[in-house]
Amino acid sequence: MNRPVAEIGQVTATKQISSGLWDIEVYSPKIAVQTRAGQFAHVRINDSFNPFLRRPLSIGPIQDGKLRLIFAIRGEGTRLLSQKKPGDAIDLIGPLGGVFEIPDDDSALVFLTGGIGVVPLLLLDDQLPKRRERVFILGVRSVDSIPVTLDEAEKRHIRWSSDDGSVGFHGNSVQLLENVLNGLGSRKARVIGCGPGKMLAGMKRLCQEMKIPASASLEVPMGCGVGACQSCAVPRTDGKGYLLVCKDGPIFDCNDVVIEPEVLP
Amino acid sequence: MNLDLTVRMGGLDFRTPLLTGSGTFGYGDEFLNLIDYKALGGLVTKSISVRNRPGNPPPRICETPGGGVINSIGLANPGVDAFIESKSAILPLNLTRVFLSVFGETVEEFVTVVEKLETISGVDGYELNLSCPNVKSGGISLGGDSAAVGEIVRETRAVTQKFIAVKLTPHQTQVAILAEAAVKAGADALTMTNTLVGMMVDAETRKPLLGTVTGGYSGPPLKPVALAKVWQAAKAVDAPIWASGGIVNGIDCIEFLLAGATGLQLGSVLFADPYAPARIISEMEAYCVRHGVNRLADLVGALQ
Repeated sequence: MNRPVAEIGQVTATKQISSGLWDIEVYSPKIAVQTRAGQFAHVRINDSFNPFLRRPLSIGPIQDGKLRLIFAIRGEGTRLLSQKKPGDAIDLIGPLGGVFEIPDDDSALVFLTGGIGVVPLLLLDDQLPKRRERVFILGVRSVDSIPVTLDEAEKRHIRWSSDDGSVGFHGNSVQLLENVLNGLGSRKARVIGCGPGKMLAGMKRLCQEMKIPASASLEVPMGCGVGACQSCAVPRTDGKGYLLVCKDGPIFDCNDVVIEPEVLP
Repeated sequence: MNLDLTVRMGGLDFRTPLLTGSGTFGYGDEFLNLIDYKALGGLVTKSISVRNRPGNPPPRICETPGGGVINSIGLANPGVDAFIESKSAILPLNLTRVFLSVFGETVEEFVTVVEKLETISGVDGYELNLSCPNVKSGGISLGGDSAAVGEIVRETRAVTQKFIAVKLTPHQTQVAILAEAAVKAGADALTMTNTLVGMMVDAETRKPLLGTVTGGYSGPPLKPVALAKVWQAAKAVDAPIWASGGIVNGIDCIEFLLAGATGLQLGSVLFADPYAPARIISEMEAYCVRHGVNRLADLVGALQ
């Protein structure tokens, strides 16, 4: 496995995609060259220690040494991050965590994403061989809270679902997943999810019922990001303690960890 | 000017006064290529207990306004036997001094763990954790009682010749009584102090932000509390004090030295800035140049 590096990146572009959702591009060639889909960068907001902790952000598409980081403003840290301007320095540690392990078989891949959970799957979409069949689902509350532009979604053949019906399928993304899986008939499928705990819990239940292998990329409050502090624990399903999102994850087989909204924010 | 950064404590020489705080640095391997070990005088591992402890239910960490952080890890560790088998080999013994943090719920458990750890060669000593706020028994309840503190240190002293530091709670107002009990029983140093009990509430969801409701509060807001405890302990005993609480830069370190600390533990700062040790050394050097200080140890207890 790669050893993470520390790098002072440089913001090269920032863009507000929709209400409270930002897409920033950071030139960070040492991290970019090593990153594989599923990994994250631990991002320092500023050098004031207020807010204190780094923010773990999934690494999105990479081009010419530049990482795309897409995030939602959830508090003071992400608000300050959204105010970065092109030319600003940004302190990153990465790439951290494991990668999406995709078996080289003939199964159809289904990406189930919600909100900014789309980010690591955008990179997987880029890094998978073109010929590999995939269905890419992105659930949002409404067209006002999209994490990627409608243009980009169209280029990637992303299928939207929205709670209010303002874009794509009217309903939640797990219902759309069920339709997609039923549509595959007897084809072998494999589901990869990233998004809110409620969505991932629904995905796990559905895939267990349909006996379809599923993995999930998880996000929880995190401290050091390298396995030392053990803050980012998720319970194992076998009752034998916990696994760490930063080191054992962030991608887990759904059968291995408890995936419930109470555990995942 | 060539600044002398070395300090001598309990018969051991340290190339710098900087140490890592227990629980923030794992067993020393996780940060391997991110940290400059030359800046560290030593590291203190995550606490090791008799049995495997899976740790507390999540969420285990949250931030507080004003740059603080609260954790509730619950001393997650594989237990002493599994530690010796699977983790002791990864200790960076050739890079810096290594102190194993030890936790027990009873006097006997402290002694058992230390006896077993004595089989690992190359370790410099122990830090007895008598102050964890995140466990139901042992921890603060044991560490707030000077008779219990004395007994644990005395019984542990009987099974090891190595350096023993004792990490005390900030919740005991009678610092001198605890400090004297620990030193009289054979402690080589006192760590002042562990985290304060704290909690955070989310008004929107009406839930606590930690799985165990309360946790250990650390980070820069803790510094004034830790400074007071260091100062009180340094007045009470001759043994060296390891300061722990809110250090993020070189000036914080100078303040703790002036208040009477000889060792300086970096804790939660490492989550935000793993390169803190080297940065802090250069910040202390800059201070010493400005103030004509040739030997860092001359600042210990030099509060005017």
